[in-house]
Amino acid sequence: MSSDAQLTTARRTVAAKHKHPVNQLFHDEATLGERVADRTAAGIGSWWFLIIQSILIAIWVTLNSIEFFTHKWDLYPFILLNLMFTIQAAFTGPVLLLSGNRQAQKDRLRLEHTAEVAETAEKATLQILEEIERNTEATLKVLEHLKKRRDSKSPSGAPS
Amino acid sequence: MAQPDAPTSHALIHTLRQKHRDPNANHKHPINKAHYEGASRGERIADQVSAALGSWRFIIIQSTFLLAWAAVNYFGLLVYHWDPYPFILLNLVLSFQATYAGPIVLLAGNRHAQKDRITLEHMADEADKGEEQINRILIEIKKNTDLTLRILQELEAETA
Repeated sequence: MSSDAQLTTARRTVAAKHKHPVNQLFHDEATLGERVADRTAAGIGSWWFLIIQSILIAIWVTLNSIEFFTHKWDLYPFILLNLMFTIQAAFTGPVLLLSGNRQAQKDRLRLEHTAEVAETAEKATLQILEEIERNTEATLKVLEHLKKRRDSKSPSGAPS
Repeated sequence: MAQPDAPTSHALIHTLRQKHRDPNANHKHPINKAHYEGASRGERIADQVSAALGSWRFIIIQSTFLLAWAAVNYFGLLVYHWDPYPFILLNLVLSFQATYAGPIVLLAGNRHAQKDRITLEHMADEADKGEEQINRILIEIKKNTDLTLRILQELEAETA
């Protein structure tokens, strides 16, 4: 599978087996509560939810305001509907924070990962630099050696 | 040549797993340190409030409270009904909660945005540092190449 195709799959399926350690810890090892939190946030924050909610509101208002329908349970100005809205809002806030806290947690974890990796990378870079410096010293010695050999050859009998 | 002593990915994941669930963990990344360990009083309270409001604990307690309120006032479980159907006082209480939840969500969001901003600033600094290191390596390799070329000249002169 090409890398692009892999990313597309990973983007759509949160449950994919992840490669990055932060994703592994955060998604693959999420507790039940965290999984439900993610699902809930994904559910409320989707077009499906918005559309279904709009349809339900339209039905509620229609059934309670048009003469034709006989069974009315919440007449104008829809006090019970108001209560429903409030209940939804009262739960959306906490769920929003739940999801936000979880994102903050991931952010924190990602930075910790970056710090760990950066430390290793910096060590590696310094080692590369040291190694090249060693190489330069060795090359310098080879050069000096060659010069010495030329100097010791040329006075006695320079190659014609 | 000695390999850079990279923490094996296993050890890395172990470290991260420990830090994952504990926001007061001993952070390594300077931004996490500044953001959590160097938080002001107001910021700490903001974090605690959003952690409390955005938790399953809160959601479950609120649900229980709601059901109890509705049950007591609708079915008349107690002698005293303070808020008969359609629960106008409950509506007010929940609206009150939602009115505060909104700003608290933004408080948490702002704090997160602030962290994001300083993370990017930190990354810019790190990038500068990385660039400097790469330049040092490049200069060293160039020196090395120059020396190797001089050796080549020496050798060519010798065989000529």
